[in-house]
Amino acid sequence: MQTLTVKFTKYDLAKYPFLKETADYVRKLNFKIEDLTSPELSSILERAKERVEEAILYALVSRKLHNAEIEILSFPVAIMLTLATENSFIKKRYALAESKQTYNDMKLEPKEKILAIAQNFEWAIQKNDNDNIPYEFKLHFTDFIKNTTHLRSGKWKLVNRILYKGNVYLTRNEAARLLSEEVRRHIEKRLEAKDTPKFPPKIIELANKIKQLSIEKIGKAEMEGFPKKIVQAAFPPCIKNLYKAITSGRHLSHIGRFTLTSFLVNIGMPSENVIELFKNFSDYNERMTRYQVEHIAGERGSRTRYTTPKCDTLKTHGVCTNPDEICKKIRHPLAYYRRKSKSLPK
Amino acid sequence: MSGVIRVHSKFIVNQLFRDYYASKNLDVISPSMMNKREFGFLSFDNVMIRHKSFLNKNELFSFLREFVPADAYYSCAYYENPQANMDAKGWLGADLIFDIDADHIPTPCGKTHDEWTCIGCGFSGKGITPEKCPVCGKAKFETKTWPCEVCLETAKKEATKLLDMLIQDFGLSDKEIQVFFSGHRGYHVHVESQAIRALDSVSRKEIVDYVSGLGFDVAFYGLYKGKSKKHFHSTFLNISGWRKRLVSGLLNFIFNAKAEDFKKLGIKANIGQSIFSNKDLILKTLSEKGELGLIKNVGVKTWKKIVEHIVKVQSAKIDTVVTTDIHRLIRLPGTLNSKTGLKKVGFPLSAMDDFDPFKHGIAFRKGALRVFVFSAPAFRIGSEVFGPYINQRVELPTAAAVFLVCKDRAKVVE
Ligand code: SF4
Ligand SMILES: [Zn+2]
Ligand SMILES: [Zn+2]
Repeated sequence: MQTLTVKFTKYDLAKYPFLKETADYVRKLNFKIEDLTSPELSSILERAKERVEEAILYALVSRKLHNAEIEILSFPVAIMLTLATENSFIKKRYALAESKQTYNDMKLEPKEKILAIAQNFEWAIQKNDNDNIPYEFKLHFTDFIKNTTHLRSGKWKLVNRILYKGNVYLTRNEAARLLSEEVRRHIEKRLEAKDTPKFPPKIIELANKIKQLSIEKIGKAEMEGFPKKIVQAAFPPCIKNLYKAITSGRHLSHIGRFTLTSFLVNIGMPSENVIELFKNFSDYNERMTRYQVEHIAGERGSRTRYTTPKCDTLKTHGVCTNPDEICKKIRHPLAYYRRKSKSLPK
Repeated sequence: MSGVIRVHSKFIVNQLFRDYYASKNLDVISPSMMNKREFGFLSFDNVMIRHKSFLNKNELFSFLREFVPADAYYSCAYYENPQANMDAKGWLGADLIFDIDADHIPTPCGKTHDEWTCIGCGFSGKGITPEKCPVCGKAKFETKTWPCEVCLETAKKEATKLLDMLIQDFGLSDKEIQVFFSGHRGYHVHVESQAIRALDSVSRKEIVDYVSGLGFDVAFYGLYKGKSKKHFHSTFLNISGWRKRLVSGLLNFIFNAKAEDFKKLGIKANIGQSIFSNKDLILKTLSEKGELGLIKNVGVKTWKKIVEHIVKVQSAKIDTVVTTDIHRLIRLPGTLNSKTGLKKVGFPLSAMDDFDPFKHGIAFRKGALRVFVFSAPAFRIGSEVFGPYINQRVELPTAAAVFLVCKDRAKVVE
């Protein structure tokens, strides 16, 4: 592999605040979470809040490079703010917005800079020196497939690429696109952090403001990606089948019951209505049904709402019936619903 | 081993397995980093024992001698605690495994020697077992298959295609790849490589799709209806995997194509005729420029049909479930397969052509057994051909007798 040939400037660090070098830079400044609320640092906090707000409003995060220092420091603070919202929609959105901005910036960079950023993520990437192949980079296929799993276009399928001696060939633009995926994954991972520190009240306050903004602008149902009203026409085949069975009083297997119930409560059907559905059974028992449904909905017991099993699991249990075209593009019945309900006329 | 196997026969087979594992120069290969692997064993009473682990070869061997498994497996995965339950194991990574089995490859003879019966409704059929019963929709079957030479030869061809992709396209070295005869109806390919170890199931699916040509889209190979680009650009055909494979597949197809080949692909006779009469031109442009020239009457749609057929031919038919399962247990090399009494045995990639499953897979080389054969097609063990038999009492060399007994086609008699 080539060695690093470019040094990152301070502007680079501000533009690409997720780089290892940026983290080192921040570490040297040695500032503490408590200091954040002091008036001298208020501009950092202000900019951090703005970053997350931009993400929510435009799914992009602008770059304000005239004050690189603030720009650099505001990134880890923005991560902290996002963490403090404890909202998975905002977390995803922020990671996506930063990565999209990164893509826009990166595709204009010279080859060397792209290489340097890629190597920062330990990619096995090289300049292509084979004149017969009109691409600028070659990337080891493992780095390629790790970053294409979310990209649905056939262009990103390995089988449609040039794969030669372990390497996939990429244009500069494609390399930038895949790198931005890596950035998204990287930020998402940072936002998954479990043992978060106790945030100062000021941070909590800002996080709540951000959450409010996102509910106003995006809407609650849509923050989970579901339509406000339940759209039966958007049920996946497996659920349609279970739904039909239950409404006609036919017996459901244990896994079938669990799948249907968890699906319905997850897309926002009130427990009461779900319980109502089970009344068609000849062996209906109100107390037990209520217990089961409320348990799955997280209204009792562990207080966590259970999610619906993945398609893979449903396949093994024989619950997956007559999968259709959309099924090929998803791995989860809830994702099917999310997708299909968007495509239906409102 | 089938549950219906006769008590005495089972006893005899068990004893033979016992002797095999007791042998001083037992040829069982302990996997790399074995103390990080989970082992699993099926007993002669059909009980599956899982979550075993061994620190070294000696421990493993003495277990095999004591327990005498009908089948022995180890995990493709590496775990922090291989003995723990699934959710506490601590997955560290996994080898990449390919299973090529006659069960998944259509062969002309499959229809003559393989049968399936639905456990739900009793409906039965011949050839490859369907995913679901066409009558009642259940997915449980009783199958009666036969490890046939022709089928195994077909499986070997698929393995050869796979190996070519792994080495040429994926850039794996032959040191990272091992090939085995499964001891029944197919071949296993194991890849142990640092680069691949950490890949998750979704990433492995991408490798599966590549190998089996799934998601292949001709548009990315230059075949689409544009304003001027009506033909198929495939430059750099000499370096890259699928492009190269397509061109050679196309050359082969066009060169040999007859009227009925076009018909099978749903291509109209007059269009087939146009291709036929322009054969030389097509072959020339294809081999020199890697392009499908503009032939009157032959449009993108037709080429698409042909190309998609070539993709099917050139893809390697693997069991897609095995490769994407990052916890999979796979048969331990050198152990016996209770479906045949043959052993899972490896061979160097360079010896692919010469490998003979019915010779190199033999585990029992001494003695003979008297058996009553219910029914069996002709088969070969070593250099000798036996059968066909029907309701017949015969004395056979041990390997041949065990083979029939394990396939539930015969019972041991006094
Ligand atoms: S693929 Fe998934 S969503 Fe589609 S029917 Fe099967 S289980 Fe349901
Ligand atoms: Zn049936
Ligand atoms: Zn056959």
